[in-house]
Amino acid sequence: MRTVECELQREAEDLYRGHHGWLQGWLRRKLGDAMEAADIAQDVFIRVLTRQQPVRAHEPRAYLSTIARGLVIDHWRRRALERAWLDTLAVLPEAEAPSPENRALVLEALIEIDRMLDSLKPQVRTAFLWAQLEGLSCPQIASRLGVSLATAERYVARALRHCYALRFES
Amino acid sequence: MSGGLSAAASERLPDDIVDAAIAWSVRLDYNTATPAAKQAFARWLDADPRHAQAWGRVAALRSDFSGLPARLAQDVLQAAEAGRRGAAVGRRRALRVLSLSGVALASGWVVRETTPWQRLLADASTRVGEQRTLRLADGSVVMLNTDSAISADFSAERRVLVLRRGEIMITTGDDAGAAAKRPFWVSTPFGTLRALGTRFVVRLERSEVRVSVQEGAVEVHPADGGETVVIHSGERSVLGPTGTSRPVAADADDDAWTDGVITGRDMRLADLLAELSRYRSGRIVCDPQIADWRVSGVFHVRDTERALRFLAQVQPVVVRYRTRYWVIVEADRTG
Repeated sequence: MRTVECELQREAEDLYRGHHGWLQGWLRRKLGDAMEAADIAQDVFIRVLTRQQPVRAHEPRAYLSTIARGLVIDHWRRRALERAWLDTLAVLPEAEAPSPENRALVLEALIEIDRMLDSLKPQVRTAFLWAQLEGLSCPQIASRLGVSLATAERYVARALRHCYALRFES
Repeated sequence: MSGGLSAAASERLPDDIVDAAIAWSVRLDYNTATPAAKQAFARWLDADPRHAQAWGRVAALRSDFSGLPARLAQDVLQAAEAGRRGAAVGRRRALRVLSLSGVALASGWVVRETTPWQRLLADASTRVGEQRTLRLADGSVVMLNTDSAISADFSAERRVLVLRRGEIMITTGDDAGAAAKRPFWVSTPFGTLRALGTRFVVRLERSEVRVSVQEGAVEVHPADGGETVVIHSGERSVLGPTGTSRPVAADADDDAWTDGVITGRDMRLADLLAELSRYRSGRIVCDPQIADWRVSGVFHVRDTERALRFLAQVQPVVVRYRTRYWVIVEADRTG
């Protein structure tokens, strides 16, 4: 266990020393924003540090940029969601909007849900959101989507399996 | 042994059981269930303890969504998706592949990142580095340590506090407002605890729950149906996947955090740093060469920078800040 910790730390240090500057530059070119690039580079190394096992990457830059790409996508996802959030709030009647102190929390939760449902097919995602947020039953989902009951049930089951895997098997 | 009685909360369940639990959820939660289906479900649930565990997890997924403003959430999530669909298809396809590999590489992180969401839906919570004291309607006082979350579920028959994350200290109240004093329970993934007039600390870890009783006594009912154990004042016990450990004399420092400190007495340096890192974002790395050094002292958890400075003053160590979130503690070789 101790030797693993030792190797983990050495590996992280080597990666940092050898490639942190390069990674920041790479991100800056991708994002066109030095501050965002620095933040994401930082997050990449936090992930490297919180691994349980050394990776012993033969191509350290490919390894780091793979993590960075995932984070850049998260960043874009987040941006898209924040934009949708502001647009939606703008047209929402005052009475229906969450209180100012709850807004940040609701937004945070929505970002998490959005991330979690990433990679689900649009119809599966829609069916699942109807079921979870509006409490629709499978027969109701089937008629709204214009699909068979069996298909609606398969959609809900697939989304549940996906969320289960992320929550309990990752 | 296959089909063992006690499965850890973090244990991976067989795919066929997970699939069956989901199929039941679809039949019962998202359809109108017939009495025959309900009976068949009850038989399935009883057939294997892992069935109940899988069912509990699927139910937890459902509860993740409760409490959100449905209409607003729906609109925002659909609008975000629509916006993305409008983006160039080629880019999207590439991103999708990349995002999958990103998730796989960072799997350890995904678990941590689900926490803000759990925090939102719990009744009370603290962020990393924060502590909070709550007074409940029955007169009980609950103190939440760093990065903790609880829900209170009080009914006419009983008072239940669900510990979702982190660590709490409970001082049970006399429940004067109720017609008859209601039992006080703390529910955790590894079992439930019944307070018998008391003050105690409960700490939820990934694979176990630690209970330390300062006053009164606590009755432990393990989730796997194992034997009930009573922990008396001044004792501690661990409730894990293999049942409850025999209560032993408690460490006098189990509740030191309620005073905002860690009181280390001959504590392994690595253990001290692990404790301190619970109170700050990022990571404190201990040089393995000095992990077993023994340290003593009072370390302030509400100001971990100060605690680290203090450590460097009283021990031959240097604290190196690689970044604000990445701190390395190693031997001071300058002598």
